[in-house]
Amino acid sequence: MNAAIMTTDTMPAKRPWRDNALFQGWLVLLLAVVFGALLAGVQTALGPTIAANKRNETLSQVPALLAPASGAAATAKLEIDTRMLPVSRGGRTAVYRVHRARRDGQLAGWVVQTAGQGYADRIEVLVGLSPEADVITGLFVLDQKETPGLGAKIATAPWRRQFVGKPAAAPLEVVKGGGAGANQIDAITGATISSRAVVAIVNRALADVSSQLAADAGKAAP
Amino acid sequence: MTYFVDILLIALGAALINNFVFYYFVGICPFIGVSRRVEMAFGMGCAVTFVMTIAAAISWTMTRFVLMPGAPLTRWAAGLWLDPQAAAGVDLSILSYIVYIFAIAASVQFVEMYLRRFLPLLYRSFGVFLPLITTNCAILFACLTIMSRLVGVDDPAARWDLAQALALALFGGVGFTLAIVIMAGIREELEACDVPAPFRGVPIALVVGGILAMAFMGFTGVDNGLKTALTPPAAIVAQAPQADSGNGASTP
Amino acid sequence: MSTPSAAQRFVRGILPENPVYRQMLGLCATLAVTNNLKSAVTMGAAVLFVLVCANLMVSLIRHWLTPHLRIVIFTLTIATFVTVADRLLAAFLYPMSKALGPYIPLIIVNCIIICRCEVCAAKQGPLTAVADALGQSLGFALALVSLAAVREILGTGMWFGFRVLPAAWPDWVIMVLPPGAFLTFGLLLGLANWISARRGGKEEA
Repeated sequence: MNAAIMTTDTMPAKRPWRDNALFQGWLVLLLAVVFGALLAGVQTALGPTIAANKRNETLSQVPALLAPASGAAATAKLEIDTRMLPVSRGGRTAVYRVHRARRDGQLAGWVVQTAGQGYADRIEVLVGLSPEADVITGLFVLDQKETPGLGAKIATAPWRRQFVGKPAAAPLEVVKGGGAGANQIDAITGATISSRAVVAIVNRALADVSSQLAADAGKAAP
Repeated sequence: MTYFVDILLIALGAALINNFVFYYFVGICPFIGVSRRVEMAFGMGCAVTFVMTIAAAISWTMTRFVLMPGAPLTRWAAGLWLDPQAAAGVDLSILSYIVYIFAIAASVQFVEMYLRRFLPLLYRSFGVFLPLITTNCAILFACLTIMSRLVGVDDPAARWDLAQALALALFGGVGFTLAIVIMAGIREELEACDVPAPFRGVPIALVVGGILAMAFMGFTGVDNGLKTALTPPAAIVAQAPQADSGNGASTP
Repeated sequence: MSTPSAAQRFVRGILPENPVYRQMLGLCATLAVTNNLKSAVTMGAAVLFVLVCANLMVSLIRHWLTPHLRIVIFTLTIATFVTVADRLLAAFLYPMSKALGPYIPLIIVNCIIICRCEVCAAKQGPLTAVADALGQSLGFALALVSLAAVREILGTGMWFGFRVLPAAWPDWVIMVLPPGAFLTFGLLLGLANWISARRGGKEEA
C-alpha cells in the first residue's frame, strides 16, 4: 500500500533477495508480532491502573456531593456502588450511570452522572441527590470547554453551590440578577447560555431518574 | 424528527461551529501549505472530504463491531477459545489507533484507484493531493471523534450510529474545504499587499487565520438556539407532568 | 554537505533546524495544546518519547527496510509507540491525558516523526538517530513552550497555573481561545524571521 508516496531514490542499492515479496512481508509480520506483544504487555500492566483512574475521577467527587452526615454516621466509611439505570420516557430511552452511597448500610444519597450540549462543547456533570431523591445535595462539573473567564465559571464552587438544597421535583429555572426563589438559579453574568445549558442537563436527568430512585430508596429501607 | 435535528446539529457543528481548522486546529499543515491558489485549495478540500467520509465509515464499523469493549465480532471470535464471561471482557481498543491509521491509508488507496478508473476528470482535478492526505490529521481526528462517541458511552441509545458518524465526517470535510478556500482567496489578494518582509508567507497567513478563527467564533451557540427553535415546544412542556405519572407507574 | 555528527544533529534540531519555526512541521499540536504551559510540556514529553523510540527502532531495522513497505513499517512503529505513550499518560498523568484528549493519538500523523524516520533514522546508526530525535523533539518542545508561555500569561496572568501577573491583570481571554493560537504563532514566527534576518541568517524560504 501507499505505493504513491514512495520515493525510491533515497534507498541504498538493493540486493535481489531483498526484493522478494515474501521477505518484505515477513518483516512487517515480525514487527506486527513484536508490537502486538508490546501492546499486550502494556495493556496488562497499565489497564487496571487506567480503569481505576477513570473510576476514581468520579468516585472521588461523590462524598462532597452528598448531604453532610451528622452524629455517629459522620465517621462511618462511605460505601459506593455503581450501576446503570435504564429509563424510558416519552418515546425515548436513556441509560444513566448512578452511584449509590451508603454509610453503615444506611442509604446516604445518590450521585447521577449525566451530560449534554453546552455553549461550546459537551458538558458532563455529577448531580448529588438526597436518599429520597427529592433534594439536590451537590453539583460537580466533570468536563466542560466553555469560554474561559465566562462560561467556564459553571465549574466554580460559588455558582455550583446554588444548586444545593433545591427541590428535585420541579424543574429549575435560570434567572438573571439574583433570583432567590425556591427553584431559581442565578445566571452567570455574560454566560446565560452556559448557565441554562447546565440547568437543562440537570432538569432532564432529574425528571428521568428521581422518581425511580425514590422508589428504590423505599424498597431498600429495612 | 429529533433524530434529524440531531444529524443536522452534528453536521452544522462539524462544518461551522466547531470547524476542524479554526476550532480543533486539525489539518493545519495543508491549510498553510496548499492554500496559495483557490483551485488547489478546493481540490485538496474535496480529496480530504472524500477520504474522510470513507475512513469514517470504515473506522465506525471497526470500532462498533471489533474494537470497542464487548463488540459483537470480537466477543464471538473470543468465544471460540474462551468461556462466554471472559470473552465478553476482551477489549481490543488498544489497537484502535493502529487500525484507524491503516484504515485511512487504505481509504486513500481505494479512493485513488476508484477515481482513476471511473472518474478520470475528478481524478485530474484533485488526484495529486490524495497521497499527501494519509498524514492529514483532520482525517484521523474525525476517526477519533467517532471513537469517543462510541467507546465509554454508557447509554447505548446515545452511541453514534453510522449516519451520525458519516454526517460528522462529510460536513467536517466541507468545513475544512470552506476554511482552506477562504484562506486561499485571501492569500491570493495578500500577494498584492505590501507585507513587512519578516511576515511574508506563513506568518501573515497565520495572522489572517487568527482573524478568520475569530469570525468563526461567531457561530458558537448557534446550535443551541437552533435546537430550541426546532424542537417542538410541546415536547418540552409535556416532559414535566409525565415525570411522575409515567415513571411512577412503571417502577415496580 | 558532509554528514553531520551525532552531536551536530542534536544541536541542529534545537534552533537552526527547529521543526516548528524553521520546518513548519507538526503545526496542529503546536496550535492546539499551547493554551497553557502544562499541556505544552506534556505534549513535548510525549513527542520526545515517541520520536526517540521510533527513531531508535527504525535505525535498528534500517538494513531490512524495503522501499515498498518502508512507509508501512514507519507508520506501524509510530502508531505503536503513540499508543504506548497514550496509555502511559492515562495511567500516570490521568488529568493531563484527559486535557490533551485526541491530540496525543494525533502524534501519529505529526509530520515531524515520519520525517525524521525517513530523513535520518532510516540511514543512520542508532546513536546518531537517537541524538537527532532528542534534538528535534527538544526543538519542538521549546517551540511549544515559547508559544504557551506567551498565551498563558496574557490569557490568564499565570504560568503553570500559578499567578505571575497581579490579579488586576485583565485576562486577554482571546489568547487562550483558538484565534489566540494563530495570532501568537504568526507574530512569534514573524519575530523569529526578523531576528534571523537581522543576524544575517538565511531568509525564510
